[in-house]
Amino acid sequence: MGKLRLRIQNLGYSYTGRRPTRALDGVALDVFDNEFLALVGPVGCGKTTFIRIVAGLLAPTQGTVVWDGVPIRTPSPERGYVFQEDAVFPWMTVRDNLEFGLLAKRLDTAARATVTRALVRLIGLEGYETAYPRELSAGMSKMVEVARVLATDPSILLLDEPFASLDAQTRARLQGELATLWEQRRKTVLLVTHDVEEAIHLADRIIVFSSRPGRVKAEVAVDLPRPRTLELRLSPAFSAIKRAVWAELGLTGGPAP
Amino acid sequence: MSGRSRTVSRGAVALIVLALAYGIVAEAGGPILPRRIWVGAHYIEDVELIPRYASLSEEAVFLVRSGILQGGITVSGLRVLGGFLLGALVGVTLGGTMAWATRFGYLLEPWVVLFRFTPALALLPLYVLWFGLGEASKILLIATGVAIVTLHGAFEGVRGIPRVYLDSAASLGAPRHAVLRGIVLPAALPHVLSSFRIAGALAWVTIVVAELIKPTMPSLGYLLALSGAYPRIPTLVVALATIGVLVLISDALAVAAYQRATGWMRRRNG
Repeated sequence: MGKLRLRIQNLGYSYTGRRPTRALDGVALDVFDNEFLALVGPVGCGKTTFIRIVAGLLAPTQGTVVWDGVPIRTPSPERGYVFQEDAVFPWMTVRDNLEFGLLAKRLDTAARATVTRALVRLIGLEGYETAYPRELSAGMSKMVEVARVLATDPSILLLDEPFASLDAQTRARLQGELATLWEQRRKTVLLVTHDVEEAIHLADRIIVFSSRPGRVKAEVAVDLPRPRTLELRLSPAFSAIKRAVWAELGLTGGPAP
Repeated sequence: MSGRSRTVSRGAVALIVLALAYGIVAEAGGPILPRRIWVGAHYIEDVELIPRYASLSEEAVFLVRSGILQGGITVSGLRVLGGFLLGALVGVTLGGTMAWATRFGYLLEPWVVLFRFTPALALLPLYVLWFGLGEASKILLIATGVAIVTLHGAFEGVRGIPRVYLDSAASLGAPRHAVLRGIVLPAALPHVLSSFRIAGALAWVTIVVAELIKPTMPSLGYLLALSGAYPRIPTLVVALATIGVLVLISDALAVAAYQRATGWMRRRNG
């Protein structure tokens, strides 16, 4: 395992208000360099709260989150966040979306064009540079968002159920594309999902959260060979891991197969 | 493009149908309607309650030849424009700031609600006392109405920006001014421009009231008031129609600006 990048200790979060909720309780987790880590758990287990804290969009009410030795307090392009919702700016063209983070980095026009051209090719959207998001399919639009985050070259990629709102086929295709993308440009990734197959297909390690308040319940290693294709999902090794994760999620209540 | 020309041709058809209906009513009503009416303490002789096209065109020709109509359009138009620009500037700035700086917003919100439906006529005496009988009180009266409407437009526009866009911009490392220019302005613009549409029409309504302040010719408001007092019904109808056309033109301009600024909201055909 590589160098330690992200250290989370005793992390807790409580929502205040009319119905106070304890979303996270005593979460401890280490994330290493260039590791693809997936986090699965039942709906409402605090997965999104967790990743928002790592992004710096939410301040923890208890415990510490330390990135490269520095506590996380604010959002930063160092930690690229792909949202569950559609976050592509609809009033900007594909190119302007991709360049938005680069403008903040004060890159000149030529440098921005170079980065954008490479990204457009990476996600296979050549010819769509001047299109508006409305003219793209939901899957294309999501890939623009992923590319926009990659543009600023973050040290860690935070993916919050990025494909949850897509149809099953598009989702499977984009999961395959993301796996290829990651194998080309290794990066530390933290993926939050409720899709177990997505987690196994992409991750090196899967963390299973308990239901509310979210705690680390179990850890499952995914020692499947790379590159991983969609074909791999039909293999016995894949099924064995899926069974293990399901067991931890409490999904296998019936008689043993 | 095809959508816009369809809207224009539909509007033209609607106007022609209305004008024809008026003509028929006026011609049919001519022989039936009384020519002598009792107003207050005396009779007024020889009136046309619904003037026929012949009388209207005669009156219009007179108003144009004498320069009264063009003068009125220019003078009133400039007052409307000045009041609109001033009001929109103040309204959009205040509304945007109220939504952006929440604490400032809480402080101001009750006052905005309080003055939201205050009619211009109610403010008129106060404005005369404060700003005198000249141009200032007229323009400020229009600006007040426009400011309240556009303030709401900008407030709703900025308040309604989906959280995810702001979070996304923040995590992409955008500084405050980039968020303002790249996210807040374009995302709030459609709301702001729809409020301009309402505010534009309101400005034309308000000018009629505002021009009752020390009325002078030429002005459309005074033309209306004077022809009502006389009474000269053909003048009244011509003045009303002129204001109507001006409202239509300013509305079309607002719609065009809205469509230009929101091209990204529409799907490309096919």
